[in-house]
Amino acid sequence: MVKLKPDAELELVLEQRTDGQLWARRNGAEKPVRVHRCFPWSEPGRYVSLRDDDDEEFALVGEPEELGAESRRALEAALAEAGFVLEVTRIADVDEEVEIRTWKVETRQGARSFQTRLDDWPTEVPGGGVVIRDVAGDLYHVADPEAMDEKSRRWLWAFVD
Amino acid sequence: MNETTQNTIDRRIIERYTDQPVRMPAEVRAAIEGAWGGRPVQLYALTDLDAGMRLGEAWLALGERDVAIARPDAPKDTSGDAGTDTAWRVHTLARADVRAVRETPGLSGSTLTLLGEPDEPALGVVRYTHRQRRAVENIRFVLEQELEGRSVPTTDADDEYAASVAAPIREAQALVAGRESAVLWRLLGYLGRYRRQVAIGFVAATLITAVSLVPPYLAGYLIDSVVRPVQDGTMAAEDGAWIAWIAVTAMALVYLVRQASALVRLRYMAILGEWVARDLRTELYEHLQRLSLSFYSRKKTGSLITRVSSDTDRLWDFLAFGVVDVSLSAIMLLGLSAVLLTLDWRLGLVMVVPVPLFCWAIWRHGEHMNRFFIRAWRKWSRVTDVLSDTIPGMRVVKAFNQEERETGRFVERNVDVTDEFNRIHRSWTTFWPALMLAVHGTTVGVWAFAMPRLLGTGDAALSAGTFVSFLLYTTMFIGPIEIIGQMARTVQRATTSAHRVFEVLDTEPDVVDAAEPVKLEPVRGRVTFEDVSFGYDGVRQVLKGVSFDVAPGEMIGLVGPSGGGKTTVTNLIARFYDVTAGRVLVDGVDVRTLDTGHYRRQIGIVLQDPYLFHGSVMDNIRYGHPEASPEQVIQAAGAANAHDFIVKLPQGYDTIVGERGQNLSGGERQRVSIARAILHDPRILILDEATSAVDTETERKIQEAMDRLVAGRTTFAIAHRLSTLHRASRLFVMKDGRLAESGTHEELLARPDGIYGKLHGLQLELQTGA
Repeated sequence: MVKLKPDAELELVLEQRTDGQLWARRNGAEKPVRVHRCFPWSEPGRYVSLRDDDDEEFALVGEPEELGAESRRALEAALAEAGFVLEVTRIADVDEEVEIRTWKVETRQGARSFQTRLDDWPTEVPGGGVVIRDVAGDLYHVADPEAMDEKSRRWLWAFVD
Repeated sequence: MNETTQNTIDRRIIERYTDQPVRMPAEVRAAIEGAWGGRPVQLYALTDLDAGMRLGEAWLALGERDVAIARPDAPKDTSGDAGTDTAWRVHTLARADVRAVRETPGLSGSTLTLLGEPDEPALGVVRYTHRQRRAVENIRFVLEQELEGRSVPTTDADDEYAASVAAPIREAQALVAGRESAVLWRLLGYLGRYRRQVAIGFVAATLITAVSLVPPYLAGYLIDSVVRPVQDGTMAAEDGAWIAWIAVTAMALVYLVRQASALVRLRYMAILGEWVARDLRTELYEHLQRLSLSFYSRKKTGSLITRVSSDTDRLWDFLAFGVVDVSLSAIMLLGLSAVLLTLDWRLGLVMVVPVPLFCWAIWRHGEHMNRFFIRAWRKWSRVTDVLSDTIPGMRVVKAFNQEERETGRFVERNVDVTDEFNRIHRSWTTFWPALMLAVHGTTVGVWAFAMPRLLGTGDAALSAGTFVSFLLYTTMFIGPIEIIGQMARTVQRATTSAHRVFEVLDTEPDVVDAAEPVKLEPVRGRVTFEDVSFGYDGVRQVLKGVSFDVAPGEMIGLVGPSGGGKTTVTNLIARFYDVTAGRVLVDGVDVRTLDTGHYRRQIGIVLQDPYLFHGSVMDNIRYGHPEASPEQVIQAAGAANAHDFIVKLPQGYDTIVGERGQNLSGGERQRVSIARAILHDPRILILDEATSAVDTETERKIQEAMDRLVAGRTTFAIAHRLSTLHRASRLFVMKDGRLAESGTHEELLARPDGIYGKLHGLQLELQTGA
């Protein structure tokens, strides 16, 4: 397995500039980049691809901990936005209609209603819990179905093992 | 569907399915327009994530000269009002100050940053979930077009916003918000054209119900009025026998009438149901032929096939039997209740009172089972996933020696789904015997109440005949109770199917002919793109401001990296889709004003993986020209280098090619499709990777056929192997949705650092290496 040591070998430095953009500098070259997790569920904290405006990989950060403190902070801030998903804490209702299923949920970010296709099922994710993808593409993460209240678990029973 | 109806549906979708406003609130609009000196909002989007990534409500608005972001301030008291109102903090900036727009997409949330001068702080930042992405993209598109010196015509801001937010839900279910009763009435409307048959079916069914009530009554009458008097000696045996024979004859007549009515009812309603299903299938298929390709990209093939087959079949079942069964069961229950209460009101009450409870229990059980079925359905889909994964990919499974692993995966899921089905079986096999026990319990109750009265120890006497009639009537309760209890499910299943059928019927094609379409006769073949932009999903622009002019008879090679927009260019030429901005002209006329059917007859397409229909080689060659003579077919096949291989087939031109042409090799299929295009004799020809994935000798034959095919026609040829474009008059290099380079092979090679030059160099290297 290739061990990636960004700072030591690639001299990678990350910083968030005044325009809010994340910039990456390595061996004298610098570019505005956006972050893309290679394994958003199984390895959310490692293996981060830094992509430039042409969607080409500028660098792959295997171990963010090996970055300098400032770079790590900048990376973490960017990752928090890029990896944002709605975290479901309670399921209030699940109703079926023709072709779609409507979910009413409470999330850490606030209350929300969303729709999934009838044949789109929640999927288990490697880091734990299940993810529900709605028709617009938004993701809803139920981190620990067992920790939810009884009513939520009853709703969820048909959809998870 | 006209625009107003569509907009109304979009707003209804937002209102019903989302927690957000159907349009920008008036106070926000007023605040923004106030800050802009009265200039109107032209486009807007809700941005539903705040800086801390919590769900909230902020608005991004675009005006003729301005951009604004309105965020809620602290709630303020409203004088003279009991509640509070939100105050809005509006941050505005001039459109001219925006130097770049940057979108940073994430898993579930994206960020749009409006940038000014380099190294200056961002002019504005908004965050939003994917639900708002199309609306935000509209604004981004307009700003980017402006930065590139193009203007985008303004549309109704409210309609654009509603269409963008509602689109994902509408695409998942086009007929959203349709009321169940309205759908049911619409379905029953299909019976209207068969009124006579419906009336006969209903009369027959009513007769069945009415005469079914007679035998128990006759049984009671015979016991009380004939058998007992004769046994008691109060009636002469001859008189009794005479009456008994009349009763027996009446009984026989009743059964005769009942079964004759059953025959009429079953036959009329079954045939009628088939007619309605046939009408629906025909209407559906005709409509499917009219729909645009965008519809087919949204819907799964299996789902559409199910609508034409299983859904219409289910509707047949409902119309043929469900409608009559449900209505007559209700009549039967009411009739039985009335008869029982009339015969003996005390015993009648014992039997009738629990009936609503039984119906409720059946309905409740159905609701309870629904969760079990969802779970079983989900697990069943896991089983079919393995099948659809591994059967087409069996070569890969074997090549990687993964048979055991795949078997293990299947067995685990198969066991899992069996457990779920057994759970369902445990539930219903518990419920129905329990319900029947309860029904029999009421019968026991009838016996318990009746016995003292039969023996003369009760407060009111009961005759044996009445009691026997009663017992016979009670057995008739069970069937209608079952049907009424399952009525909700029957109706729901029928409305679901009807909904799915009507969803297709109510979808209007995206590409529609103008009110007075133009027919180009003859088509010369000049193709012009004027500043064309296009996106399939309304979010990502696949073509961005593409312009070119192609003279009649020119052959254009479309080259460039995958995803550059080559196929999209050909899709727009064929008018499979309409442009988002700009114009596509043929002989100087906008394709949107042309008669689409007539225009498409002037277009020929040869694809990388040619699609042949199940039928003979002959049928496939003359698919676009069914009246072509055998001589014309042979000529076309000859020009396509296909004649020789076709006559070597055991049944020559009459050989059945199989589903999708699977009985032919790839190169053979390709040459049949070229023959089909030659016979079609198009003015504009589209070749999409037509010579890839075949061996060198076959490629040579195909290339020869192509050379004959393109002669004298305007041709657009997509090719990754540049060597196949040796006859091209010009080459268009498409990259990132733009026409990056154009010119002859030599002109493009002469460009320093040109994309074409690089591609050419790479392919040369590969060939040399090989």
